[in-house]
Amino acid sequence: MIVSQKWLADYVDVSMSHDELADRLTMSGLNHEGTETVGDDSAIDLEVTSNRADCLGHIGVAREIAVLYGTQLKVPDPQPKTNGQSIGDHCKVSIESTDSCQRYTARLIRGVKIGPSPQWLQDRLTTLGIAIVNNVVDVTNYVMFECGQPLHAFDFAKLDGGQIIIRKAKDKEQFQAIDHRTYELNPDDCVIADASNPVAIAGVMGGADSEVSDSTTDVLIESAWFAPLSVRKTARRLTLHSPSSFRFERDVDAAQLDWASRRCCELILECAGGQLLDGVAEAGAESVAKEALTLRHGQLSRILGIEIPAEFIPQTLTALGLEVIKTSAESTTAVPPSWRKDLTREVDLVEEVGRIYGFDKVPDDASVPMAASGRPKADRVLDRIRDVLTSAGFDEAVTASLVPEKWSDAYSPWSDQPPLTSSQPMLGVLEKASQNIGTVNLLRRSLVPNLLEVRRINEYRSNGDVDVFETAKVYLSDPKGGIPDQPTKLAIASGCGYATMKGLIESLLDYLATGKTVTVEGCADPLLDRDRSARLMVEGQLLGWVGEVSQSGRKLFGLRSGSTVAELDIALLESLALLVPQHSNQSTFPPVSRDFNFIVSDEVSWAQLESTVRGAAGELLESVDYRETFRDAKKDGPGKKRLLLSVVLRSDDATLTGEQADAVSTRIIERTQKDVGAALVG
Amino acid sequence: MPTAEPVTLEQFIADLDALQQQASDAFAAATDAEQLDKARVEFLGAKKGKLKLIQKSMGAVPNEGKRDAGQKLNAVKQAIQQGFDSANERLGAGGGGDAKRDKTFDSTLPGKRFRIGKLHPITQTINELKDIMGRLGFTPADGPEIEDDWHNFEALNIPKVHPARDPLDNFYLSVASKTGANDSVPELNVDSPLLMRSQTSTVQIRVMENRQPPVRIVSLGRVYRPDTADWSHYPMFHQIEGLMVDQKVTLADLKTVIKLFATSYLGNDVPVRIRPSFFPFTEPSVEADYYWDGKWVEFGGAGMVDPNVLRHVGYDPDKVSGFAFGLGIERLCMIRHQITDIRYLFTNDVRFLRQF
Repeated sequence: MIVSQKWLADYVDVSMSHDELADRLTMSGLNHEGTETVGDDSAIDLEVTSNRADCLGHIGVAREIAVLYGTQLKVPDPQPKTNGQSIGDHCKVSIESTDSCQRYTARLIRGVKIGPSPQWLQDRLTTLGIAIVNNVVDVTNYVMFECGQPLHAFDFAKLDGGQIIIRKAKDKEQFQAIDHRTYELNPDDCVIADASNPVAIAGVMGGADSEVSDSTTDVLIESAWFAPLSVRKTARRLTLHSPSSFRFERDVDAAQLDWASRRCCELILECAGGQLLDGVAEAGAESVAKEALTLRHGQLSRILGIEIPAEFIPQTLTALGLEVIKTSAESTTAVPPSWRKDLTREVDLVEEVGRIYGFDKVPDDASVPMAASGRPKADRVLDRIRDVLTSAGFDEAVTASLVPEKWSDAYSPWSDQPPLTSSQPMLGVLEKASQNIGTVNLLRRSLVPNLLEVRRINEYRSNGDVDVFETAKVYLSDPKGGIPDQPTKLAIASGCGYATMKGLIESLLDYLATGKTVTVEGCADPLLDRDRSARLMVEGQLLGWVGEVSQSGRKLFGLRSGSTVAELDIALLESLALLVPQHSNQSTFPPVSRDFNFIVSDEVSWAQLESTVRGAAGELLESVDYRETFRDAKKDGPGKKRLLLSVVLRSDDATLTGEQADAVSTRIIERTQKDVGAALVG
Repeated sequence: MPTAEPVTLEQFIADLDALQQQASDAFAAATDAEQLDKARVEFLGAKKGKLKLIQKSMGAVPNEGKRDAGQKLNAVKQAIQQGFDSANERLGAGGGGDAKRDKTFDSTLPGKRFRIGKLHPITQTINELKDIMGRLGFTPADGPEIEDDWHNFEALNIPKVHPARDPLDNFYLSVASKTGANDSVPELNVDSPLLMRSQTSTVQIRVMENRQPPVRIVSLGRVYRPDTADWSHYPMFHQIEGLMVDQKVTLADLKTVIKLFATSYLGNDVPVRIRPSFFPFTEPSVEADYYWDGKWVEFGGAGMVDPNVLRHVGYDPDKVSGFAFGLGIERLCMIRHQITDIRYLFTNDVRFLRQF
């Protein structure tokens, strides 16, 4: 809301310095956003919060100033002369759409002479940046910026039957507005119509046909209350925003309609001549008186933490326009004025008294009691996961939670339910090269597609070592309804291969002190290579997936080079992680190592061989370490491979003898031969 | 084998002393590894070294002098070896000479780096803020990002007609049409709409619904509003929000916590101010500013928890009071790192990420 300093001076003393005034207004709720000099006037831009529709006019701002400085507020009392004829003989108002129009009033002035506004009026509107039109339209604007009530002037001669009907628009009803564009309306819109057609969209814009023009002689002045929601919906749908709709959307003061109407007529008579008819053509109910509120003075210190002198309370409330009914040392009872619809509860009065007294008087060195704070396990585990990933050289990415259909369809390992759809798309979140992919309106079921896009972008920009991870929620719809499941996942993408990615995950489990090992199961997801991919399990629970991206997957995501991805369930990692690992004694005796070179058929997996070795080795076993795989079809025959491994043995209470180690070796050789058909080389 | 001329013990000892002196001089005179090695062969050579030769002549020392001769020989042997070692050290490994230096080694070559990944600047900012809040006694709390009408609006005192609920201003979730047609366009479930939360205040409600005061939490996370992405907007962003409810919590406590928070974050004792504002879920509502670089900078929105909110979670607003405050993380992060376009944060160019 821009206010003119000179204009304010009509209602209140503004002889204080501009900077001091701006600061006082900021500190009492009208944030000063800047001031520009316009001619010999200052245009002061104040931010008015949505609860303070009363400050969308100069009088409202002047009232704030009068309260802050303890000075007098002077509000005009318009009493325009009438010519003795009754408006009732010429104009009828009826409201059909009572939910969108609570009250409608109209006054009629005949014989106006349309022309330019007087200079003083033009100057004031110019300071506010409002276009000058003609004396009648300018006056309606002037009064709106004076008191916050939008007004509209119709060319009365153009109103069929002298009738004003407030009704819903008909479906697909056409309407030509003052901007000379045609709008198609629907029954959600409220219109002002004459006997045949709409002449204005209620609260939003007047019509071209009934617009005040140079040939206009009789004007009908509308002063009405339209429902905020109705005005907002229509203005938004038609993208017709105006200072009028802005004010109606914030709920104008219905008790002020008559004052605004009289004020407008008074100024039109002054600026454009003509004669005002007696009375008001009106419909709808008068606004109901507001209820009294009681402020217990003790609430001020309880909520604000400061002591405010008791006499300050009724005095301030009175200055703000409340009618104080009763006041004592303990409490004050008052009725809020019609223009303060935001004052409905005791706590609202706490704020009023407090803000006028000054929040700058609230101390910033109160003794807030100490309190223990903890960090949830989820938080700590997440930190450790990030530690591992960054230590391993992975950079953290943050990507959008909504994805296009193509990405959503490409990968959904956690759910076979369809993705959740947003009614609004995310606009502008895709890189240029991906903008033709589709609407970004699906809630992602996996983070992997976003990370592949991150790899694509970096690949396109020739960035090396694009190893990235993200931790974020995925959204899995529940066929039973209710709030969908939103588990947090860790996704990783890298140019490394399967083994490195798997190793990273194994290291992660180690670092989290889970004491658990990952086992793999087959996985058949078209995004991933059929063989170089796996479902990861920990003790029968699903940890996630790892795999190299398949040829078709690479094509789908426009990737030139190979990528390996993984996605893990953080809740499982959290439950497995041991935040405070426990000590166990380390053997002080030396280890004994035995190397084995087994020939097995290709069907025998490392996991099978390892578990056989472990089973055979017994309690002296410290570790089984994979060394390498080697194939020599000439020596070993087709379909065979050599698996080289080392077994480390150690005892807790003695140095192992060669005989003890040999006995273990023998068991291992016999058992592997029996269970997986392994033959020891050499 | 002819017997050597007899040598007196005195002679043998004198010869040894002379040899030690000669060797010492020769080692001292060596200026490079080659000369030193020559001297080493001359005196310490295994076959024809002078020490070896003298050692052979010990057989000619009369028997009664053999024991002393042996002791002397060992002492001289040790001394010569030590003389060589120190000369060797002087010329080689430990010394300033050129001997034994590897002239092919270039110490200016770059080190072999460990590639260490970076946390996203948003995470770094969140961690910093969470850390500060933790020291002030606020425990982190988490909540769902898909929320229901109650937690995102109703319980927060945002009435049905409030503009904040406008379908165009929120990511409401669509549900399959109830008519059951397979190809039906998904539409809004108007009875109990779900949406991507538009603020982290939702977590406040969830925590308070399940716990009695005192409550001191900080919630952090993603929030969603359908702005078209440009340099200063993104339809997804992050918020941090603090909530404290207890028997005697006042606006002065709020201002104090904001002051402590700003001082910790900015590392200086910065002035803060609060000025009236409006939010549906707080009353009074304030904006908090801090004074930095000669001007007031907006910090975030705050206020005393609205009695309606307290009532909605089953608290008695006459018995407990509380404050809440919230900040946008992206704005703080961008100011902190001088990032000029919010979209950089979500493009994830690794060159961008590795700066922080």
